[in-house]
Amino acid sequence: MKRIVFLLCSSFLFSIPQFTNAQFLKKLKEKANSAVNKVVDSKTGNTSENSTATESQNQSSESSGKPVNKGGAGLKNTAPPDVNAAMDDATKAFSGNNYSDARYSVQQALMGIEIQLGRQLLTSLPDNVDGLQKDTTQDKVVSTQWGWNNMTIQRVYSDKKDKQCTITVGNNMLYSGLVNAYFGNAYAAESNGKDQNVKQVKVQGNKAIISYDESKGYTLIVPIGQSSMVVWECINFANEDEVMNTANAFNIDNIKKSLGEK
Amino acid sequence: MKKYSILILIPFFTIAVQAQDFSKDIAEAKASYSSGKLADAHFSLEQAIQEIDMIVGKEVLKLLPEKMNDMTATTNDDQVSANVGFVGATVHRSYGTTGSQVEIISNSPLITSLNAFLNMPFVGGMMRNSTTKVVKIQGYKSRLEKQGDNENGKPNYQLQIPFKSALITITANGMDENSVISFANSIPLDKIAALIQ
Repeated sequence: MKRIVFLLCSSFLFSIPQFTNAQFLKKLKEKANSAVNKVVDSKTGNTSENSTATESQNQSSESSGKPVNKGGAGLKNTAPPDVNAAMDDATKAFSGNNYSDARYSVQQALMGIEIQLGRQLLTSLPDNVDGLQKDTTQDKVVSTQWGWNNMTIQRVYSDKKDKQCTITVGNNMLYSGLVNAYFGNAYAAESNGKDQNVKQVKVQGNKAIISYDESKGYTLIVPIGQSSMVVWECINFANEDEVMNTANAFNIDNIKKSLGEK
Repeated sequence: MKKYSILILIPFFTIAVQAQDFSKDIAEAKASYSSGKLADAHFSLEQAIQEIDMIVGKEVLKLLPEKMNDMTATTNDDQVSANVGFVGATVHRSYGTTGSQVEIISNSPLITSLNAFLNMPFVGGMMRNSTTKVVKIQGYKSRLEKQGDNENGKPNYQLQIPFKSALITITANGMDENSVISFANSIPLDKIAALIQ
């Protein structure tokens, strides 16, 4: 049993660098291609316009002859599962000893509830914060079939220029556990005395972590209840006070209540 | 006679109790949902899913062979666990006293990546070397690994059969390779798959 749990954890960890490596390799390949093109262009005397034209030709039809997709209507939004119908289906399947179908129907009901819950929560969030307007086109409610784990609700606030705040309310025991572990480690709360890029703060009486990264801006994480957390990612904010003011515009108690957390 | 009747009735009684729990959970979920208490409805549905996993686990145990080679199943050690987290539902059965066992893990979001991991030869998955080989069990590609010998000089084996969203791990100590494969073939994998998928 221990070995299986170990294998599960290692395979999970294994999948993260794999994903990152794939992205990294893709970027590396793009950089290498562009560098090679520049050298070839300079030797053959091709101008950048010529190479751009060639690139666009390549984009519409690759050298293999396989066409490249240039657009499409995408997928239509489907209604979330009907919770009552899913629960009725589950009861029927269960009474007929069809446990596989019963499980599937309960999962559908769970998904329906999570999506409704996410939408309700989005409605309760403020329309603007710190001069930033909500951008409802980027609203997201993501529910997975794995129960309460990895449910994510996201809202973006923006000034339509370069200042943006993304709030994510998520339920993930793994990450939440890691954040809570941070609070248990006194050494992690200490500054090196010079460049303190992570520190503990309180948001509406809840323990939180705020961090700053030159390329990402400010990130504020507030773990709530047993397995949920609220994350603010603030780009181009002037200072941490501005981040804290933004966070305080949200009613954390209301978020807790919606998620059924204490 | 009375004693036997009680023993026969216990499993039925257990399932009946769990069926009641499931119905209770669904009823609570419906009541909470209709009154707008979404988080409570969610909790009740999670409980219902765990009830299903427990029942399915017990049904799977019934399908497992009573014997592994000459070792009898230690049914007192039978275990079924269910959770909605990352580990998923697990079913455990021991055979004899040498640590031989069958473990089935299902409905875990990590099983897919674990199964992919097992299929990658370069990280020690489906490959052949002096201790590991790939065998087919009822059409499923599986990984058989020899894990040294026991105190009597007989080999210990571990056989991993990844299928659908589940993984079956058979630990067979003090048995030869043919007996391990023969035992694995005696497990009704398709019936188990139908139950847990």
